[in-house]
Amino acid sequence: MLSNRRQAIFQTLSMGAFALPAISAFANVPSSSGRMVLVFLRGAYDGLSMLVPHGDERYSQIRPNIGIPKPDGSQKTALALDATFGLHPACAALLPLWQQGVLAAIPCAGSPDASRSHFDAQYHWETGKPGSSSPSPGWLNVLSGMVGNGVGLHALGVGESSPRILSGPRPVQLVGNGLSATRAGTLAESKTREAVLQLYAGNEKMASAMLEGATNRMSTAAMLKSPSMASSNEQQAANNGAGSPQGLALDAKHLGTLMQQNRELRLGFLSSGGWDTHINQGNVTGLLANNLSNLSNTLIQLRAAFNEPNDVVIVASEFGRTCAENGTRGTDHGHGNVMWLLGNRVQGGKWHGRWDGLGQNQINEGRDLPVHHDFRGVFAQALVASLGLTKGSLADVFPGFRWDNNLDGIFKA
Amino acid sequence: MTQTPRFKRNRPLWLVLESFLFLCLWGCAQSPQSTRTASLPVNHIELQGPAAEWRAINRLSYGPTATLMADIKSKAHPKDWALNQLDEARKASLEAPKLPLDLVSINDSLPLIFDGARREREARAAVPAGTRLNELVVNERRFNFQEQSESLFYNRTQVNKAIAWRLASCSSDDVEQPLLARMTEFWFNHFNVYQQKGSVRPFTGHYAINVARAHALGKFEDLVLASAKHPAMLYYLDQWLSVSPQAGRAGQSGRGLNENYARELMELHTLGVHGGYTQEDVRELARVLTGWTVAPRSQDGFQFVMRLHESGNKTIMGQSIPSSAQFMGVKEGEQAIRFLANHPATAQRISLRLAEYFVADLPPQALVDQMAKTFLATGGDIYQVMKVMLSSAAFWDPENKLYRTPYDFACASLRVLNVAQDRNKWLQAFGYSFVAGQGIQNWQTPDGYAFNANTWFTPEALTRRIDFALTIARNATERSDLYPYLSDTTTKAVMKQPPQQRMGFVLGSSELVFK
Repeated sequence: MLSNRRQAIFQTLSMGAFALPAISAFANVPSSSGRMVLVFLRGAYDGLSMLVPHGDERYSQIRPNIGIPKPDGSQKTALALDATFGLHPACAALLPLWQQGVLAAIPCAGSPDASRSHFDAQYHWETGKPGSSSPSPGWLNVLSGMVGNGVGLHALGVGESSPRILSGPRPVQLVGNGLSATRAGTLAESKTREAVLQLYAGNEKMASAMLEGATNRMSTAAMLKSPSMASSNEQQAANNGAGSPQGLALDAKHLGTLMQQNRELRLGFLSSGGWDTHINQGNVTGLLANNLSNLSNTLIQLRAAFNEPNDVVIVASEFGRTCAENGTRGTDHGHGNVMWLLGNRVQGGKWHGRWDGLGQNQINEGRDLPVHHDFRGVFAQALVASLGLTKGSLADVFPGFRWDNNLDGIFKA
Repeated sequence: MTQTPRFKRNRPLWLVLESFLFLCLWGCAQSPQSTRTASLPVNHIELQGPAAEWRAINRLSYGPTATLMADIKSKAHPKDWALNQLDEARKASLEAPKLPLDLVSINDSLPLIFDGARREREARAAVPAGTRLNELVVNERRFNFQEQSESLFYNRTQVNKAIAWRLASCSSDDVEQPLLARMTEFWFNHFNVYQQKGSVRPFTGHYAINVARAHALGKFEDLVLASAKHPAMLYYLDQWLSVSPQAGRAGQSGRGLNENYARELMELHTLGVHGGYTQEDVRELARVLTGWTVAPRSQDGFQFVMRLHESGNKTIMGQSIPSSAQFMGVKEGEQAIRFLANHPATAQRISLRLAEYFVADLPPQALVDQMAKTFLATGGDIYQVMKVMLSSAAFWDPENKLYRTPYDFACASLRVLNVAQDRNKWLQAFGYSFVAGQGIQNWQTPDGYAFNANTWFTPEALTRRIDFALTIARNATERSDLYPYLSDTTTKAVMKQPPQQRMGFVLGSSELVFK
């Protein structure tokens, strides 16, 4: 947990390869505005299983084994949202949010870069610079420097040790995944702290770093300690450092608690791996269904913690998967994908943007969902509506991007 | 609780000044500062005696084993020992590695490794729909390779064995020549590949051994070429798919040029981002390299496919790469790589990175220049460049401090505690390195891990390092041979502890947290 000026300096130095972006004025994000949480699904989740285009006849043809059946009112088929789309039955918990008008989808969003490499694409999403592999700070890091007077800690990441999207010259708070966040460690014992202080006697740099680290970990652990959490099942999986989809719910709980307790924190980041379903992804049940069910539970939790007027939760993945199933009852790397927005300001209960269907001529290279909407355009709408950023300062976060008028209306005025 | 309790104290003046200094460095530099230039004549102080021994041991190996401590004392001067280590490392690099028996499959022939990956694909295709594989089963038994590995988990098992090799070789002098283990880490990281990218997975161990290790102290151009032709790199940066657009249109399902590898080859492997090349050069290099791809049945895993190669003349940084008979086909690419590998910008970049790894986060420019000069004079002979560095005053200058990265610290722990054979301790070392942000061979992007203190020395990271030290060293046998090398403060604090806890404090001391 990074919490003061000195740590800010360490963090600053750690990004020696970057130049600080030229941000003309501070207070770009007014302190009265909402909070934004990004849930990033690493590995490219299959959006066409979560937002099922049941109105398109091609869907069941090109997905004979993994398609979700047309809605029949039961829990064994897609849950109808409208004549075009339905929700995966494992996401039933989200249906009320859709009906309340706080959950919306953008079916064909993504990066303008054509890369089907997870790593390139994630890098592009996290730096906000599609097509560039140059060392660059994460855009949430840049954005955190635009909150309030530009100093202090405004971004929190739970789960990964150092996600790219949060790395850069600005100080951010990073909390370990699963139960590791709740562990204060050996230095929680004052006797041990004393002994280590003696070990570092005369070395102020080591002594103060140790004390700061220990103090911060103790306070994070104390904030997160509760009987229900102690009994939670810790899930550990190595997926780009991202936790498993099951572990996501616990990380989300930690994130909610910490951002509830420290109102200076305005930007939250969570991630989970386990979405790269090349083989046997299942359909109504199976591997992907389990993941989607865990994701839904996570979103329900986040909804409870982020329900103030301007709060928004966004779900995204680095790219989508092929429209048709492959030879191993899975899907391969695609292009466009479904993004989700959840919050009171969201014009929910509907999907937004362009959707042309799954016709061979409508899809990208005859195989993937197209990218009709640049992901930066989606985030830009949220930065303005939810965080109160001016349109003029968006280029500080996403250099060179263009405002997407076709997305106007995804947030209530 | 509504507010984070904060540790409050008066900040010492030097810390405040330090902060301003840091901010000035940050704000004043036009481009990131990578070396330091002495503005006043400096009387170089060189470490002597035990302090010099400690430096040599901790920088040229991952930490003090009893054998190395005895060995260095037998030499007239630690510098003699250092230069001898360099000779030993070069000798070892030319021989096969001493792989533990259960890890030998990482160094199987490339056709065998390709075959293992193919069998995994087939086994997975045969899994009945809806079956849920326990994908974590391999990770649960991480370093236990006793059970016959199933086809289904071939790739992950290879990954775990490659990680095991890195732990075995960094921790035991019997398994690997200590300086060669460090050089292998350095070059693997410089030519980073990511072990979790699908097709790369089974090859990382082979890559570490046959690219990073085999050429560690040879000619730099041979190292670049070996990396360029290895399946791990061909897959990692997508070179294997990059074909001439004409060939692509002729039936390769829309395939065409992919600039990924060409760009990183210039930006990261050789010239550096300010090395003077343009976007057009990237494209030209990508054209030169079209047709370079993997060959599952060939011993070196590499083939050049003329049909996929873009014909015509190309120019890279003003250097004409003609499609003449002499430089046709694969020779075009080899010529281009040799040109880039021996470029003055490359000499500077490689010298700087070696000096950052072995000498200081901001090494003296004079040292880097001297190394680069040798690099150019010797046709990129890494051994000679290293020799200049080890002979320099800067290497032995007490001002040039280095902070251990998490992996470095994990390896040091296994050595200091003399537990290189204990795979339960490997698990702890592996886990610590991962949680601390430096998972072994686990960096996604081609830039590799950073090695500087600014990245790794943060308060929370220090507390996790202490946690690890106190945990892994619990009940460890004391190493009284190390005590003469520790400061009075450290010794006093260590001796206050009960014997079974002393080694944890030795590990956590600044003598071992730094190097």
